[in-house]
Amino acid sequence: MTHANHHPLPLTRREALARTGMGLGWLGAASLLQQETASAGSVVATSMAPRPPHFPARARAVIHIFANGGPSHLDTFDRKVALEQYAGREIPNKLATERRTGAALPSPFAFTRHGESGLEVSDLFPHVARHADRLLVVRSMHADVPNHEPSLMLMNCGDARLVRPSAGAWVTYGLGTENQNLPGFVAMCPGGYPIKDTENWRNAFLPGAFQGTYIDTKKTRVEDLVEYVRHPVLDRDTQRRQFDLTAALDRRHLEARQHDPQLEARLASMELAWRMQSEATEAFDVSREPKHVRDRYGDDVQGRQMLIARRLVERGVRYVQLWHGQGQPWDSHEHIEKNHRKLAGECDRAIGALLDDLVGLGLLDTTLVLWGGEFGRTPTVELPNDSGVKEPSGRDHNHHGFTVWMAGGGVKAGTVYGATDELGFKAVEKPVHVHDLQATMLHLLGLDHTKLTYRHSGRDFRLTDVHGRVISDWLA
Amino acid sequence: MGGILGSGVATAADATSRELETLFESRVRPLLAAKCQGCHGDKVAEAGLRLDSRRSLLAGSDTGPVVVPGDAAKSKLVAAVRHVDDLAMPPDEKLSADEIATIEQWVVAGAPWSGPGGDGDATQPAPVASMDERLATSLKNHWAFTPPARHAAPDLPASFDPAVRDAWSAETIDRFIGATLSNADLKPSPEAAPRDLIRRLFYDLTGMPPSADEADAFCAAASGGQAAADAAFRATVDRLLASREHAEHWARKWLDLARYADTMGYAFDNQDSRYPFAWTYRDWVVEALNRDLPYDQFVTLQLAADRIDPPVPRSDLAALGFLTVGRTFLGNANDIIDDRIDLVTRGLMGLTVACSRCHDHKYEPVTTADYYALHGIFSSSTIPEELPVIGDSPPGPEAEVFAAKLGQLEAAVTAHEAAVHARTIREAVAHAADYFSEVARPAPRTGDNRPPKLADGYELEQLLIDRLKRLLDKAEPTHPILGAWAAARGKNDAEIGPAVAAVVATWGKTPEPRDPKVVNQIVFQELVSTQPTTLRQLAEMYARLVARVAPEAAGGPAAGPTEPAELAALRTLVGVEGSPLVVPRAEAMRVATGAEQRELRKRKKAITMHMAEAAGGPPRAMAILDKDHPVDSHVFLRGNPGRPGEKVERRLPKLLGGAAVARDSSGRLDLARAIVSPDNPLSARMIVNWAWTHHYGRGLIDTPGDLGLRGEPPSHPHLLDDLARRFSDEGKWSLRWLHREIVTSRTWRQSSAIRADLAERDPDNRLFGRANRRRLDWESWRDSMLVAAGTLDRDLHGGQGVDPLLEATMNTRSIYGRLDRQNVPGLLRVFDIANPDTAVHVRSKTTVPQQSLAVLNAPLVVAASRQVVNRVDRELADTWCPDSRIPALWRAVLGRDPAPEEQQRAKDWLAAESAGAPQPTNAWQRLAHALLATAEFQFVD
Repeated sequence: MTHANHHPLPLTRREALARTGMGLGWLGAASLLQQETASAGSVVATSMAPRPPHFPARARAVIHIFANGGPSHLDTFDRKVALEQYAGREIPNKLATERRTGAALPSPFAFTRHGESGLEVSDLFPHVARHADRLLVVRSMHADVPNHEPSLMLMNCGDARLVRPSAGAWVTYGLGTENQNLPGFVAMCPGGYPIKDTENWRNAFLPGAFQGTYIDTKKTRVEDLVEYVRHPVLDRDTQRRQFDLTAALDRRHLEARQHDPQLEARLASMELAWRMQSEATEAFDVSREPKHVRDRYGDDVQGRQMLIARRLVERGVRYVQLWHGQGQPWDSHEHIEKNHRKLAGECDRAIGALLDDLVGLGLLDTTLVLWGGEFGRTPTVELPNDSGVKEPSGRDHNHHGFTVWMAGGGVKAGTVYGATDELGFKAVEKPVHVHDLQATMLHLLGLDHTKLTYRHSGRDFRLTDVHGRVISDWLA
Repeated sequence: MGGILGSGVATAADATSRELETLFESRVRPLLAAKCQGCHGDKVAEAGLRLDSRRSLLAGSDTGPVVVPGDAAKSKLVAAVRHVDDLAMPPDEKLSADEIATIEQWVVAGAPWSGPGGDGDATQPAPVASMDERLATSLKNHWAFTPPARHAAPDLPASFDPAVRDAWSAETIDRFIGATLSNADLKPSPEAAPRDLIRRLFYDLTGMPPSADEADAFCAAASGGQAAADAAFRATVDRLLASREHAEHWARKWLDLARYADTMGYAFDNQDSRYPFAWTYRDWVVEALNRDLPYDQFVTLQLAADRIDPPVPRSDLAALGFLTVGRTFLGNANDIIDDRIDLVTRGLMGLTVACSRCHDHKYEPVTTADYYALHGIFSSSTIPEELPVIGDSPPGPEAEVFAAKLGQLEAAVTAHEAAVHARTIREAVAHAADYFSEVARPAPRTGDNRPPKLADGYELEQLLIDRLKRLLDKAEPTHPILGAWAAARGKNDAEIGPAVAAVVATWGKTPEPRDPKVVNQIVFQELVSTQPTTLRQLAEMYARLVARVAPEAAGGPAAGPTEPAELAALRTLVGVEGSPLVVPRAEAMRVATGAEQRELRKRKKAITMHMAEAAGGPPRAMAILDKDHPVDSHVFLRGNPGRPGEKVERRLPKLLGGAAVARDSSGRLDLARAIVSPDNPLSARMIVNWAWTHHYGRGLIDTPGDLGLRGEPPSHPHLLDDLARRFSDEGKWSLRWLHREIVTSRTWRQSSAIRADLAERDPDNRLFGRANRRRLDWESWRDSMLVAAGTLDRDLHGGQGVDPLLEATMNTRSIYGRLDRQNVPGLLRVFDIANPDTAVHVRSKTTVPQQSLAVLNAPLVVAASRQVVNRVDRELADTWCPDSRIPALWRAVLGRDPAPEEQQRAKDWLAAESAGAPQPTNAWQRLAHALLATAEFQFVD
């Protein structure tokens, strides 16, 4: 049904072993690292074994902090003095967004310059601002439509409407992951799903192994976080004895069925699962961190999930996505001052601590941190409407121009790229489409976005479809 | 270009041509090479356009010429690089202003082309083959584009062992496979051991294992020699093929192809995403396979059960769920149609047509016209507001309660729609003067281009402005009602008074009684009495006229039984439903507020919830029916509905002959008949290969969903074609015939042991020199646990479906599990269930530790362990002697007795675990879990 004859290339067992350098227990575990032969016979990357990139990579892992709902660039990283001049007045060149907006709404937040780069950041993000000289702030992002659903799909899956795999699925399909005892692609969202649910981290037509593993970080008990990571009743020793009996019966079964890589892989995967029980439990258990570390992140849900993200990347997880929360929390159509202050207050400290730790552990160089939403917000105030906005005190969606920032993973630090117009409505200087962001992200991971393809339904698909360009100005 | 004239004197023209040559060679050619030829060159020619020679440049693209030498304005190439409309090239990054100017200058100069690729270059490539040429070539050359033919099965060589040769000569499949093996100097594998064979047969045909007793009985029969073994095998095949379990197992595979799920996918907050009646389609598929409905009818009903004459029994309308159980893409009609086109073409024929939504197919001879010809067929079909009832309500008082409640809920929807309709008309009539003014002098728009909000908070509706404008703009000054408006059109306030007065004067001069077709007396009197001199006054005068004939629901005066002709004419123009400011009921929701639309969704959701949850309702078909007025679709240029191109008649793809479908219906029936016609080259090959793939674990074609030019050619083309042809001729499209043909072959009955010579020379088993060992899919794995636990109730089938992860549903087969395509449980995902968003012929197959994690810890497996022990307790009436319990446990879980070594190991293990307890239930449960977790339980040899 499917085959991928471009990339990744099939590995021989020996190559796989040589590349991973891992001893994987008894019974030829290497076969698990092998490219399997799909049912239809052609070669497909179906395992999570690490695979070489197309060219030397700058980043090995991605942490995508998704401020879902659409954070206002004008109140965070894209200061617009001109908004004050227009305060309360109609602006020229107002663009169409989801709902009707009125006069210019200056930012209620104070901006200060930070670091040697002099990056202007609003007082919403003092801890992120400490890292000003590590950030690449892209102020000229643009997407296609001012609605959450298609914009989430575009940002995550490269297509606004059709069923396409998510970026995390593409990346793990292309590169596998470095720790076989943990999922390669983890999507964390406290309290439930964001808008569009699991579509945001779906595998679509890629094999199921590449789907993001969803973790509800509102839960605090480790065994509730990862599905099936623990037996519902048995203690570890008792389960080990049960496990050993199965293994003994399996060995006998295998002796009569020599040379079957499929059976060998299955037996090896049992051993891996056993280790995963302890390793995954350990990785997600932030209580193992010293108190002073937990305090730096903050003892709350954002602090916890940011700390989990660090622990996962430390352990070789390839792609981690953190959502601010269920639904669309950053969607401040009304009372933006109060809402944005609350939202930023929830995550700023934890993001700052995450960056501190990545620097301290020497991981930032090889970990791409991406912060942003599915779009930004309008410089004009949203007018009262029958969708629940009573007071003109917020901003509507704005896909014409918005900001994301990146840090680490080989991006140019302390840099601002591109600009919106005078009032911050539209990306005008060096505009960057979401496809360009995706192409460049893959490039940082050592993947050529035009070559990371998968044959489905008669053609080769890719994350960026027929679009996307690598922005070389971003590369350090 | 250029060249030296005979006299040897360089002329001015030569100088120019040399400059042009420099322009071309130093600037244009590098630009074409760097920015264009990647997609428009010798490797790829997007849209049929190549930009690597002058000849192909002038040949243009599939949609026509791209360059008119000397005329930049008429050259699409220039427009494309300027990015002035949708066709913006290069698509990724616009050329610099300087580069654009270069192209323009070159085109204006006549697009001269020197050197390679120029007119004087004899070696320049021929223009790309046209779509028609590609079609003709591939029809002639591609193996899958001509109808399959019978092929004589080869004789097996004498080099075969005589006994094997005899056995393998009886069936045509075996002769084809045996001969190919022999050509590769390989021998087939011996027949699988009886116990392996019967287990494989049960799983293959029913998705469940045989009981230990059934396996024992078969082994006993098979011990009586080859003839007895064959007879027992055939008898078992017949029995299993006739069982409901078989229909259920293969129905699940078909549901993968039909991208079946029980929800529409992502839904807005106040929508219910459930399909309350998807299950009627699922049950229809089971039932159709259970009665061995011939495949041609099976397909025809799924595409056009509503169009068959004489009409089919109403229960067969459920078959149409095939088209309608897909994702709904938040209601985007074109995406829904695209999904259906892909389902029908790739799903049923292995032909990828969906690529042609935006441009002609790069590989297959399929054009955008082919795509939009199919688009018209589906665009002419619609899901009825009320799904047809296809059976009786269950008996009992619930039915009445259900119907009464449904009536209430439906009335609530109707009432809301009526209220919104009345509100929109009332407000439009109340603001009629503003609408008239807006048409004449549109208020300045801000960037968001919305109509202005009025002082009282009312927002003019663009839809109504457009409707009124269409009426007003075409009125002439002689119009008996709108004449004054027409006379004032385009004038400023200083001019309006005299213009209107002139009309009044003209009308006044007509002799009385005035002909209402020339002068409308009501309008005339209104003009005389109010004498409007400004646009606003004129608009207000017309607004008063509108109010006089407004519908009662919108506050208008009641119409008398007979009215004077003048009033009737006025009413017809601006008062009846459908006139500009009085939207028809059906369109009212288009001008509803967000809150009104949310309320409607809420009320409709209550109906869906009622149907999905309340008992007592009759089953309904997820039908799709023809629209009253079938329509042809326009090609959407580059897939963009905002850019309609030529209109294409509804027809079949040219690859399938291109015949037009019926004009007076959508054409679904004609499409269905073309798909299952014996002349269709693809359908029979697709389904035969599909069945083969599921029986053997790999196909004769490795790309079961792609039989086109880019698909893999078959490993045994003659076998495939012969089987496909025999399927329709000899087998009369019976799937049961096909299954029997395959599983009774010697090829299928081979051992799955991996022989050293095969591992060396045919590691992928392309030649079928052995069987393939396979892991159970999710459904078979779960069903096997139910069988082991003794909880499965084989009489429970059909209906709305259950949550497959609960202990409480361990009596129901997995096919009856409900699936929310928006929220597929992780356990099902890791076991590779089919992606329910696209037609899946064969599932992907992965081995990941999460599967083993589930085997070790999933509550479902823990519950099954407990139930297995309960079963043993029941069977042995509380005997705790391990010597009888251990075999009972083995027989329940693995369908066989334990080997002595296994029995001893289990006994020792139990002794250690139970620490002398007389009834160590927990230890037994752990032992049962250990057995359920074995590879043997999860794999079929």
